[in-house]
Amino acid sequence: MSENENDDRPLEPAERVKVVTEAAPGGEEEYRWHTGLNRPTGVPDAIEFIDVHKAFGRNKILKGLNLGLPEGKISMILGPSGTGKSVCIKHMVGLLYPDDGDVLVHGESVPNLRDEELFEMRKKFGVLFQDGALFGSMNLLDNVAFPLRQHTDKAEEEIMAIVDARLAEVGLTEAGDKMPNELSGGMRKRAGFARALVLDPDIVLFDEPDSGLDPVRTALLCELIQEIHQENGGAYTVITHDIMSARRVAEYIAVLWRGRIVESGPAEELFESDNDFVRQFLSGSAQGPLGME
Amino acid sequence: MARSAADRSIAPARDFFEQVGDMMILTGKTIVSAVRPPFPYGGEFILQFLFALRLCWFPLLISTVAFGYGAPGLQAANFLVLFGALDRLGGFFVLASIREFAPLVTAIVLAGVAGTAITADLGARKIREELDALQVLGVDPVKNLVVPRFLALMLVTGLFDIYALLFGIFGGIIATLVYHAPLGPFWATFFTNASVTDLWGSILKCTCYGAIIAIVCCYKGMTASGGAAGVGRAVNQAVVISFLGIFAFNYVFTQTLLATHPEINVIR
Repeated sequence: MSENENDDRPLEPAERVKVVTEAAPGGEEEYRWHTGLNRPTGVPDAIEFIDVHKAFGRNKILKGLNLGLPEGKISMILGPSGTGKSVCIKHMVGLLYPDDGDVLVHGESVPNLRDEELFEMRKKFGVLFQDGALFGSMNLLDNVAFPLRQHTDKAEEEIMAIVDARLAEVGLTEAGDKMPNELSGGMRKRAGFARALVLDPDIVLFDEPDSGLDPVRTALLCELIQEIHQENGGAYTVITHDIMSARRVAEYIAVLWRGRIVESGPAEELFESDNDFVRQFLSGSAQGPLGME
Repeated sequence: MARSAADRSIAPARDFFEQVGDMMILTGKTIVSAVRPPFPYGGEFILQFLFALRLCWFPLLISTVAFGYGAPGLQAANFLVLFGALDRLGGFFVLASIREFAPLVTAIVLAGVAGTAITADLGARKIREELDALQVLGVDPVKNLVVPRFLALMLVTGLFDIYALLFGIFGGIIATLVYHAPLGPFWATFFTNASVTDLWGSILKCTCYGAIIAIVCCYKGMTASGGAAGVGRAVNQAVVISFLGIFAFNYVFTQTLLATHPEINVIR
């Protein structure tokens, strides 16, 4: 992604200044905080965005997004509401295609895959959608069992054992026979979480897993993400604007604003960033370059 | 400035043609998916077929009898009785009911009842991100959702066409009886004018109407956006576009049928 991707040494301030100059040619006022700085992680990227542009009508969402999400780590894409975080997830799984640029998953260009290849590639993914996206015509058990029935030859008893274990992890053992419309938003989200992980996918995407959950359940869910990641490994990507969640689980952070990455890198380095925008956002402060606009 | 105003003025037309193009692509994908193995849509096909059957049989019965009695029945009888030629009402019903009104009323009822239900169902699933989830889970929504609805609506409209023309003709019988005329001359002119071409033409046309309704309603449902209001908008647009498609197709089909089968132009 950046020129520093395969370089393990810490960056010198002069190099950071150099990146700023490259990222904002002509002194674009809108992007003065976007250093585009990508601090090295030392591992290859599972997912890469290469100069991705995406617009819906006149509304430009991604404006030259360059981003790499490292293999084997829990990455977080953080940013204010409406900056295109969910749009990023949809590009990763081929639900949206870039107007320009490329999205690579394990080196394969998603926009260039044929339909059959795309459906095959999606088996690598588990996705937790914002509201759980449970199938309204199925109860919770069948929802969580759906990927197993669809993609494995496991016996029904084995499927039910896995489903029961996953539902127990998210505290929904008693709700297995309920329909999605009988559940609260938080319960639907937890059930969606169980479904996303039931196949132990290589790449898991969480679209705002903390929204609609109380603080305790958010903390528990973050712990669960960490535990399951330790067990299974893989590239986990969490989209959120909740800084507490980021502090709890993030190993790698990318800050997205106005369709481009402001800065990205290992979480501990980002939390120490001297970029005013990153510092303001990660501390949740009202003082700084980010206003209500 | 001038360019932006020009862009704005052609935007609706461009959107319309883009949507028509997308629907054509969806039609192609649906036909290819329907014939290419695997065939996982059997269960959903039966469900959709029975769903349309259950929802539409009664509204269609009322509509066809009332329409047959009111429009071609009473209006044509009122005109024919002036010439003392009420017996020609049977022959007129071949033109009116079999060729035009039975397929048209079937399509209107199916689009209004089953088509809107399809758009609302798929639209709600789209809004709840269920369709995205399906795709991410490696399930092709065209093969699993569109194909069964497409086939079910085609089959059900074809069968309902026979049902509609029977009850439509029943409307003509009521009109004849209301004018205190015997039914013998009605049936005589009816069977003199009716041909096998009329029957298969009617069923084929109505089956194609079913395909148009299915594609339009599935497309509008699967592209719904903007929450609950967006689903409502999609349902409204689905009905309007279905009707436009049906009327346009009717023109092409009727012209082609009359051109290729000139014998049905002759009134006997």
